[in-house]
Amino acid sequence: MNPTSRAEAQQRADEIRTFQKELSLLEREGVLKLSDAQRQAIADHHASLVAQYAQAFDIDRNVQAKQLSLGMRIASFTGALALAASVFFLFYQFWGEFSVAAQVAILTIASLGSLIATFLIQSRDETGYFTKLAGMVAFVCFVLNIAMLGQIFNITPSDKAFLPWAAFAMLLAYSCDLRLLLAAGILCLVAFIAARTGTWVGMYWLHFGERPENFFPAALALLLLPQFINHLRFPGFAPIYRVFGLLTLFLPMLVLANWGRLSYLDLDHQIVKGFYQVLGFAGTAAAVWLGVRRQWPDVVNSGVVLFVIFLYTKFYDWWWEIMPKYLFFFVLGLSAILLLVVFRRLRALGAKQSRGEA
Amino acid sequence: MMTRASRNTLIAALALIAISNAVVLVGVAYNRTESTSTLRLTQRELTVPSQWRGFREDSGLALGLQWRVLEADKDLHYFGFGYARSGGTPEWLDKTKLEALGFTATQLEKARRSGESGWEQPSREVLLVLEFDGPVYQASVERAKRYSELPSARDAKERKNILEREQRKSSRLFVVDAGLDAEALRTKYPDRSRYAFVRGQVQPRVQDIRSSAKVRGFVTDVGVQEISVPLEFREVFDFVQYGGYSSSRTESPPYEVTVTFGKRLEPWISAASRAKQ
Repeated sequence: MNPTSRAEAQQRADEIRTFQKELSLLEREGVLKLSDAQRQAIADHHASLVAQYAQAFDIDRNVQAKQLSLGMRIASFTGALALAASVFFLFYQFWGEFSVAAQVAILTIASLGSLIATFLIQSRDETGYFTKLAGMVAFVCFVLNIAMLGQIFNITPSDKAFLPWAAFAMLLAYSCDLRLLLAAGILCLVAFIAARTGTWVGMYWLHFGERPENFFPAALALLLLPQFINHLRFPGFAPIYRVFGLLTLFLPMLVLANWGRLSYLDLDHQIVKGFYQVLGFAGTAAAVWLGVRRQWPDVVNSGVVLFVIFLYTKFYDWWWEIMPKYLFFFVLGLSAILLLVVFRRLRALGAKQSRGEA
Repeated sequence: MMTRASRNTLIAALALIAISNAVVLVGVAYNRTESTSTLRLTQRELTVPSQWRGFREDSGLALGLQWRVLEADKDLHYFGFGYARSGGTPEWLDKTKLEALGFTATQLEKARRSGESGWEQPSREVLLVLEFDGPVYQASVERAKRYSELPSARDAKERKNILEREQRKSSRLFVVDAGLDAEALRTKYPDRSRYAFVRGQVQPRVQDIRSSAKVRGFVTDVGVQEISVPLEFREVFDFVQYGGYSSSRTESPPYEVTVTFGKRLEPWISAASRAKQ
């Protein structure tokens, strides 16, 4: 199967490297013995594949290259943010010196130009790092385009602006394989859905954060989307949807578990708090179970972290004031040990099930 | 070499930019097809950015709209005068009015039961009526006069300053009514040179009035916070440098600004000039 993206090619190269290490170990232990011809044929085939992938996708051939790639990814990320900030401040530095017509023209041309530049860079950039920089700049230019038109013409702020921003970020993310822009698009989408939910209930859209339940429809959408859209060509995208979905679901729940008066539910605040605490614990535990079952490490890790946050906020509520501090932290430590024991049991159970299936 | 899929995505993204800009600009053009109100405001109602809020590297200039609310509280006190953009609980925004603005009886009851300021009740977007230099401003001046004549603990000079500030410096722009239907409001307030409609937010709150908890409405905010100054009028405000204007050093020179409100109730500056001192 020919890989169609850098991520797929890199995964294949990593698998080849792992296979070569394992084969060497098996031969040293006398488990397997290949003839010279067989060994040479495999080595030649793998060398040819890796060379092909390196040529087409600029993959990391070895561990050192992988570490350098990580450095390049960090540099690309920080560079993208810095360039985006630079564009933002550049506009503010000079925009007041132009007429309205010139301002509109500059904003539109900047959006269009940076977008075209992104795709031109993408056609020549095998690594993807420069494309990421250009993509972020294009996104910031478009956000500024709409936001500053609003300022210039004193337009009443509207949540509808999030929709084209989300669409633009998603288009760039899927076209250029940019997870950073996918995250930006998801945030815009969450803001739009939450604001719309708020307005449908009758509140002013900008105050959608005052009712954390406004985020639940957006969370549901994010969790269901990867189930209906195939992301095989975009490894890493589905986990981002799932992680953001879990955060969008459980962080508002955490707020409601501590401040029940912020709920839409017309019940006593203590009952609302209790309800969301139970829901939070059960939900995060269910997320961990589902992640283990479906082999989604992102869901397992997010579920665990959120479960622990729920747990520790409850511990704080119950005991911070009444316990001596050394005892409070000792109890936290004990609870962590208990969780370790539970996860070890779950892992052993999972391994037993896998052996049974095999 | 761009692939076919990339080319299609590029076209889609270009179209998205073009359509988004078109939607915004068509909306602006539609807003300016008709003027619903035109107010001639001064430095009292439209202030230049103060230095501490100024963004040092922002070359744009926007004037802050100083809107006020005449509070329902009939007790005279020092902080009842002059403060703009902080909202307020006017006499006319009572329970009946709140229900007319779309707040349900359940929401109002929830606000009353809370026994607090009712902050947990979210705001609703409504149409607010701004009155410029009208009866409500005159009532505020009268209130300041009565306060300046009180034998209160604060010294006479301070009370006289409050009256003087109310007469000569404070904004004359007050929120005087709210509604959901612009046509109905226009019938009630036909003077387009004194009354302008803007979008804003109100919220039910509990206010202890003489020890009896009542649910009243609080005007939280007005949709128009600032009005951008086009390049052709910038020379009127040439005293403002980057980083804003420091009113602690000297008062800003007087100026007049004509603000026109359009069909979508979005304002723009149609004229500006320095006024005589």
